[in-house]
Amino acid sequence: MRSPSKSSIQGLLLRHEVLLLGLLFVEILFFLNNARNFGTPENLSNILRHSAEIGLLALAMMPVVLTGGIDLSVGSTLGLCAVLLGVMTHSWHWATFPAALATIGFGGVAGGINALLITTLRLPPLIVTLGTYSLFRGLAEAITQGSKTYREFEPSFLGLAEQQFAGIPIQGWVLVAGALFFGLLVHSTTFGRSFRAIGYSPEGTRYAGIPVLWRTALPYLLTGFTAGIAALLFTARLRQARADAGSGYELAAITAVVLGGTSIFGGSGTVYGTLTGVAAIALLSNGISRIPAVLQAGIGGELASLLTGALLLIALATPKLLKILQDRKRDQTA
Amino acid sequence: MNRYFRELSVASALLLLLGVLAIWAPHFYQPQPLLSRFTAQSPTLILTIGMTLVMLVRQIDISVGSQFGICAVVAGLLAGKGLPMPLVFLATLTTGTLMGALNGTLVATLGLPSIVVSLATMVTWAEVLRLTQQGRLINLPEGTQWFGLSQVNGQLLILAGAIAFLTFSAWFLKNRAAGRFVYAVGSDAEAARLAGINPKTTTFMVFAVMGALSGLAALINLVQSPQVDPKCGVGLELRAIAAAVVGGVAVSGGRGRLWGTFLGLLLLSTINPALTFLHVEAYWEKAIQGLVILLAVVADGFRSRNQNA
Amino acid sequence: MNPPLFRLSSVSKSFGPVRALRNVSFDLLPGEVHALLGENGAGKSTLIKVITGAHSPDNGRLEFQGNEIRNLTPTNALRLGIACIYQQPALFPSLTVAENIGLRLEAHSPLGKIDWAGRRERTSALLKRIGAKFSPESEVASLSMPEQQLVEIACAVGAGAKLVVMDEPTASLTRSEQELLFTLIRDLKSSGVGIIYISHRLEEIFALADRVTVLRDGESIATRSVREADGNSTLTEAELIQWMVGREVSSIYPPRTGSFGENVLEIQDLHCAESGIAEVSLQIRAGEIFGLAGLVGSGRTELARVLFGITPATQGTVRLGGSPIVVRSPQEAVHQGIAYVPEDRRRHGVILPMAISHNISLAIHKRIFPWSRLRFGKERSLAQSFIQQLGIKTSGPEAPGGSLSGGNQQKVAIARWLATQPRLLILDEPTQGVDVGAKSEIHKIIRELAAQGVAILMISSDLPEVLGMSDRIGVMKGGRLVHTLDGVNTTADEVMRFALGEGAAA
Repeated sequence: MRSPSKSSIQGLLLRHEVLLLGLLFVEILFFLNNARNFGTPENLSNILRHSAEIGLLALAMMPVVLTGGIDLSVGSTLGLCAVLLGVMTHSWHWATFPAALATIGFGGVAGGINALLITTLRLPPLIVTLGTYSLFRGLAEAITQGSKTYREFEPSFLGLAEQQFAGIPIQGWVLVAGALFFGLLVHSTTFGRSFRAIGYSPEGTRYAGIPVLWRTALPYLLTGFTAGIAALLFTARLRQARADAGSGYELAAITAVVLGGTSIFGGSGTVYGTLTGVAAIALLSNGISRIPAVLQAGIGGELASLLTGALLLIALATPKLLKILQDRKRDQTA
Repeated sequence: MNRYFRELSVASALLLLLGVLAIWAPHFYQPQPLLSRFTAQSPTLILTIGMTLVMLVRQIDISVGSQFGICAVVAGLLAGKGLPMPLVFLATLTTGTLMGALNGTLVATLGLPSIVVSLATMVTWAEVLRLTQQGRLINLPEGTQWFGLSQVNGQLLILAGAIAFLTFSAWFLKNRAAGRFVYAVGSDAEAARLAGINPKTTTFMVFAVMGALSGLAALINLVQSPQVDPKCGVGLELRAIAAAVVGGVAVSGGRGRLWGTFLGLLLLSTINPALTFLHVEAYWEKAIQGLVILLAVVADGFRSRNQNA
Repeated sequence: MNPPLFRLSSVSKSFGPVRALRNVSFDLLPGEVHALLGENGAGKSTLIKVITGAHSPDNGRLEFQGNEIRNLTPTNALRLGIACIYQQPALFPSLTVAENIGLRLEAHSPLGKIDWAGRRERTSALLKRIGAKFSPESEVASLSMPEQQLVEIACAVGAGAKLVVMDEPTASLTRSEQELLFTLIRDLKSSGVGIIYISHRLEEIFALADRVTVLRDGESIATRSVREADGNSTLTEAELIQWMVGREVSSIYPPRTGSFGENVLEIQDLHCAESGIAEVSLQIRAGEIFGLAGLVGSGRTELARVLFGITPATQGTVRLGGSPIVVRSPQEAVHQGIAYVPEDRRRHGVILPMAISHNISLAIHKRIFPWSRLRFGKERSLAQSFIQQLGIKTSGPEAPGGSLSGGNQQKVAIARWLATQPRLLILDEPTQGVDVGAKSEIHKIIRELAAQGVAILMISSDLPEVLGMSDRIGVMKGGRLVHTLDGVNTTADEVMRFALGEGAAA
């Protein structure tokens, strides 16, 4: 099975993570030269602040995709959690801390609903989470009557978004904690191993005596909790909670995971790749909006998303195209 | 009877809803608003036909909303430039087909998963729209709306056209070889290949047709208002998928009928006005749509469970 | 002599560095059954794919009815009258029988009209002709495996095929279905159809075939007539086997030990409504190999699945090592010390894309990874030791399971369960689709395990294997254990009699 050394070097160069690191490097070089104040420490903090929520969601999405599933409802869960936080602190006058804990709990409940439907009834994750995507966002809209915005949060809570610890913003630390948690879970525990096995073959895993239903449910549950945490970061950063909080985040998270080399069919992928994917997206959106011409036109956000979409397409298509070309070449020489 | 179980249950749910409306909100049945309501759904109906095809070949296309938006803007800009309508139609359909063909190439030729491909194209086209239009509405020339007919005649024409197209599609899918290829490829691509059907070509064609239908839907939408909103396609993909799922099209491919999808769309689009008429606030629409999707898949889950036992 | 219906001359085909076919020549006469024999990987399936147009050969010449054909594709193969019946029927599960047959037989102009009434009529006629009893309107997904195979045969008959390839058609058929199939084959033969017949069961080849060609390592080793003109057999099984493996293989099974310990497994009156198991009682002692024979569908695999908790029992008691246990899931079975090497190796036995070492440790996560923490060194050395112990041929423990040959995959599946140090090991068709060399190695492993005191329940459709390996033999029929026989003095006839239900006294 082992390929000769020459092709294994080629293989290494073509490995998804290596390609992605190269892309990251090119991005950094380009923006250092063309974007205003890109390399300053303030900007680095800024990037961390803005990418923490999507980063967390991508980290949580990764094990879901590893089991061969998908969770389209994470953005909606974030929105619903943000609104519930607003309801608890504003309408029910709860203190911030218990309300925050309850918010994370609600995220878990939302993830639990997905997990329950997907595992006990063996329904396709794509359609289940499409349904909850609509349901959770709809509940958020119903609660806020479509327009209500919660703004009166405790200053100490909002302050969290601005604070730093050891020179790094709080969001950065949360992201590091998330990366450590999911990295260890996926790569160093039997849970991660069984996620992979399930992604390759759920039936085969069941025949090995692994509790497949529980292990399939776990990533969805964790995604729910993570969306709850991300809702807190989001609310603190924007200083408000609205029903449309986090819309489109599911796409960004899935993009980061796929860009990071995790197979959408399940089984293979790394958390480190996902982090690189998150970084590539975060740097792109920050860097692009600092290019003077873009800044002037005020199209930073749109251009960054456009490039992300295109990047995803290129990341997916390139290896396949190369393989097709290689096969064709071989057929010709043969 | 088992074969039409899903169509029958959706139809009964629809009848029940209509019955409730007849008793508690009879003004729902006033002809003019009713006509407008159904006409407004005809672009979605066209998209839903395409989505049914896509799901029948065991794929999914979540970029249709964005495709629809692009087509609407292209049509609007060209019409605004004073191009004759037939040319506008041709250009819009071509634009749609090209976008569909891009998805088709990536999915069929390169063998990439359609969920990720269409996710990427969805984001890409949506951002192209935001970049170029920046949310600006496009004003259409006089005489474009309702093809220059009176509102009622225009609406009747659109509605009749959409229903005729649905009937044609259902007939084609059932009685022409190409229609059966779609079922065959979705049911088992390898078996299709052995039967001499090319799964790649079939899949590609389905995506291209989906693109063309996005264009057609955008055109039907265009003639209903004096302006084009570049955001008009947002969320339509979900609505189309929801209608197909509720109407009994299996995500696992090869199973489902257009009439089921049609009933699914009717049910979904009756819920919202029903809410308003029954004095439930309209903010609940999205939540209820999600609930209906979940109910439909849960019902499927229980049914297949009982069949296995 | 008739001109050949189909002829291949010095055909070669390579996949990258692998040479699947080397200079193979082969011909088929009209009205002939020509058997194709060879171990797995000998090139049989590549050859079939060349004949049906799924693969185009690198070089060589193909002739059909005397005319050279170039660029054979599945579509024009069908048009010429070449049909293939695969092991796994290649049908459309969500469509009706009539539509399945229609899609196969009708010309495919995309805009062509579908004649639904004609489809139904033709299908009814075809089904009637081959003796199938289901309706043309039934959905294929609702048919049993043999019924689906009949649909395939109906397609071939309906296409007016002149050449039919049958790839292990009897693998999933019951005895009476086999008889029906053989009658059909003789019927086709007498109407001048040439049949290429692939099977691992030598007795079928002697019963059906006119000629046999043996393939080994992509080369054709020999083509012989099965019978002389006077009807006497000109071949022996030993000859065929020797051609297939290229060496003498002793079909001697490892010797029985004959010493058993206490009862390890005791089953009393076991029922499972879902899988149709009823009133099964049996005991297996430590060190004993209990062979479970019976026809396909007689409830053998179903019994194993009940014991392993995949479809839990609804009634009855199971005792393991003297104490009663309840097994409701595979996890509980593993916990109790029950191991199950399943029948479908590629779907259930081994996770193909995963490394060998990961496959082997999969069932013992709890035991070797305290606190759920993976220990890679421990895992690798565990795999290493099994690779040595069982003689698994691989480049290393990191190689994916899918890179191994069938026999070595099976050894990995067995290694996974040996690692659990089971008290009861259930083996379901342990040597199905495994080549002859690996087969005898697996037999040795099983016997050694028994000698170490493991109780073994071995399900097998290979009667010589059951007779050669078992200390006692249970015969199942219709979900019940109809008889238990002594393993040493039983003959194949006796087992078959009980399996067919003629000798059952009850």
